Amino acid sequence: MADTYVDQKDLFERRKERYRVLVCIDGSDESYRGLSYAAQAATNKNSDIVLLYVRPIDQGLRSGGLQVRVARENMLSWGLELPGITYLKRGLEQLISGDELSADWHEKITHTDIDGDPLGDNKIEYTNEVGQTIVLKLKTAATIASGILDQYELGPYDLIILGDSGSWGGWAKSLWDPAVAEKVAMHAPCSVLVARGLERGHGHLLCTDGSERAMRMVKRSATVSNRIGSKLSVMAVARDNEDKAEAQENVDIAVAELKSLGVDVVNAFTRVGNPFEEIIHAGKEYSFIVVGSTGKTGLQRFFLGSVSFKVMEHAKNSVIITR
Amino acid sequence: MVRGFNIPNQRVLAGAGASLKKLITDFSIHFVWEKKWFFIAMVVGIILLSFPTPNGLSREAMIVLSMSIVATILFVTEPIPLPAVALLIILGQVFLLGSSSSDVSKTLWNDSVLFILGSLMLAVGVVKQKLDKRIAWVIVRITGTKTSNICFGISVVSGLLASFIGEHTVAAMMLPVGITLVTLTSDDPKKVRNLAAVLLFSIAYGCSVAGIGTPSGGARNAIMIGYWREFFFDPSNPETQKFLIDYVRWMVFAYPMFLIQLPFVTLVLFLTFKPEYRDLSRAVVKLRAQVESEGPMKAADWVSIVLFLLVLMGWIFMSDSVGMGTIAILGATAFLISGLVRWEDINSGVNWGVVLLYGAAISLGIEMKETGAAIWVATNFLNLLEPFGASDGFGLWAAVSVLTTAVTNMMSNGAAVAVLGPVVLKMAVVAQEDPIIIGFITAISSAFAYLTVVGTPACTIVYASGYLKTTDFLVVGWKMALISIVIMLGAAFLYWPYLV
Repeated sequence: MADTYVDQKDLFERRKERYRVLVCIDGSDESYRGLSYAAQAATNKNSDIVLLYVRPIDQGLRSGGLQVRVARENMLSWGLELPGITYLKRGLEQLISGDELSADWHEKITHTDIDGDPLGDNKIEYTNEVGQTIVLKLKTAATIASGILDQYELGPYDLIILGDSGSWGGWAKSLWDPAVAEKVAMHAPCSVLVARGLERGHGHLLCTDGSERAMRMVKRSATVSNRIGSKLSVMAVARDNEDKAEAQENVDIAVAELKSLGVDVVNAFTRVGNPFEEIIHAGKEYSFIVVGSTGKTGLQRFFLGSVSFKVMEHAKNSVIITR
Repeated sequence: MVRGFNIPNQRVLAGAGASLKKLITDFSIHFVWEKKWFFIAMVVGIILLSFPTPNGLSREAMIVLSMSIVATILFVTEPIPLPAVALLIILGQVFLLGSSSSDVSKTLWNDSVLFILGSLMLAVGVVKQKLDKRIAWVIVRITGTKTSNICFGISVVSGLLASFIGEHTVAAMMLPVGITLVTLTSDDPKKVRNLAAVLLFSIAYGCSVAGIGTPSGGARNAIMIGYWREFFFDPSNPETQKFLIDYVRWMVFAYPMFLIQLPFVTLVLFLTFKPEYRDLSRAVVKLRAQVESEGPMKAADWVSIVLFLLVLMGWIFMSDSVGMGTIAILGATAFLISGLVRWEDINSGVNWGVVLLYGAAISLGIEMKETGAAIWVATNFLNLLEPFGASDGFGLWAAVSVLTTAVTNMMSNGAAVAVLGPVVLKMAVVAQEDPIIIGFITAISSAFAYLTVVGTPACTIVYASGYLKTTDFLVVGWKMALISIVIMLGAAFLYWPYLV
């Protein structure tokens, strides 16, 4: 017992040294586009990509008292693959066939039993000679969002990527509806990328309000920019004309900071109006809108809302919330 | 540079006091938020109980009614595990109603509950026999390779089997057949989306329409039979003998309806989804190879078929005298003794909470009748319906059917019948309609949950395969629901009056 504890802690520490990306796959095109972003962000030999598919735990009560596992076991005995596996394998193919990663991988399979489910948690780990790892993980959890957040607890990640495709939406507890993305973005202790109509090559738009948090976000974006070579732009929003000077100042500080880190800024501008509307409007031109998370606690966020989450919820394109 | 990403973890460590506070607020918000419906339901219950008792309603009836309303909210919104709702019902009867513990225990267990228990164990036994490949092969041998014929064949065979052994059993058994036919046709899920929809819905809806056919088709039928006996049968009055509905009598009422619905399943599916492949000969050839690799029928296969037929005979000829539940238990025991199924498989394959849930729901339903709550609700509901001309005759039938269909799309259909049963039966009494017809309308309408994934067991199981979307159910479900309601009202108008 004590040994495994030490191992876990050790593993955790070692993982902290690496750049780890968690990509949530649900079979939608959007999630695969998010995956190609991950492939680019994690080319460095210190980086790992984890592909995750979360399946809600079966509710035997809904199926009239006969556990769904009876049907699933029957499917397995026919040699049929369960839904998530196909999606994950497609993701792996996409990663390996791309230019970003080399083709030589070693395979290792692990399985953890989860009570009441024939499948449990399954993990296939691939490593290449440079030391990069790709993990395919099939997870069972009460809800999709809690599955993703549990996965974070297992090993810290630097970035969680999930697709936000409307086609799965609807009132039912479907996969990746906005609620899942929102929940993950709200609770995850790391940066979250919500891919939405993702078109690469238009650069990142950083939104700053001059706060310490925003500056941290700017610095981190510079890191990412160095990594994947994307173009950066900076904007700030003033609530009215009086604040305009302050907004301009915030932009200037951010641009100077980026320059000192060796990153060129393509565009720097200010807008006047409602912050989240202006950000969404200006953000249309870019691949990503990058916002810092608010420092509000759960309670404050619950009652006040925050610009970051409003942007995430209403923007038509991809949003990164950095932490 | 990479290290910069770890700031959040350090921040958590920074202020232990601050993070504890955050932890508490986060926890309380999330806990309350996740369980909000539980708290709402409890508040509704307290408010209802603190109201002065309305005219014509006793204090006990008021309590039972409040409990039913709270339970219904919890059934639909599911903030806590459903078996916990069942436990709450038991607790409520003892603590709020003041019934003695052993009286409550007695109402928890009757032939209907025994039947639910037995048929679930039997279901696992039947699925484990792996006769599905042979059934699939028999289907395609008869239908040929045309997609439309195969789909019709699948829904007919699924339906005929499901009408006797329950829709969940057949859905679990036939699901791999449907998926195998899809995957053998093409590996690319996008190329066979509509084909997957017609094949899988043929199974799901084939089973769903069949669940009404016989008392053993679904738990709800057994529950309704239990209510008729409980509410109207009086051993001293030979007139009330007609309220003891046996297996064959149920079939005379409901089986024709199932048979009429069957062709519509394939028709509606093909009009809604246009399958990409009109012919499945490629998949059928491969399926044949798979079946041949199984070799000839083994002795165990024959034994299980014979056992199963014996259970059917038992239901048809003996359930009058010994009860349907007993026959189901007998069948399950025979499967266990013969070694055809392991207890471990049954233990992990049956969700025992369902037995608890139906037991508690029926017990509450009986309290509704005994305290007079059911008749009070029925009278007031009829007064409400009167301005719309739906307080008697055909209008009432349609109203009951629409009400049941609406409720059953929100919760499991067994629970819907258990909750609605007492009220609609009393409505029949007040409106001087035949309780048997109204009861059949409720039991059968509860099968019309084609719209949602959770509606019927067969839909839930087929959805678990991952090949269907929730929106598919909406697209095709309303057409099926409409057709089914029309067919049922037709039967209620033209056919059933000659039987009662």
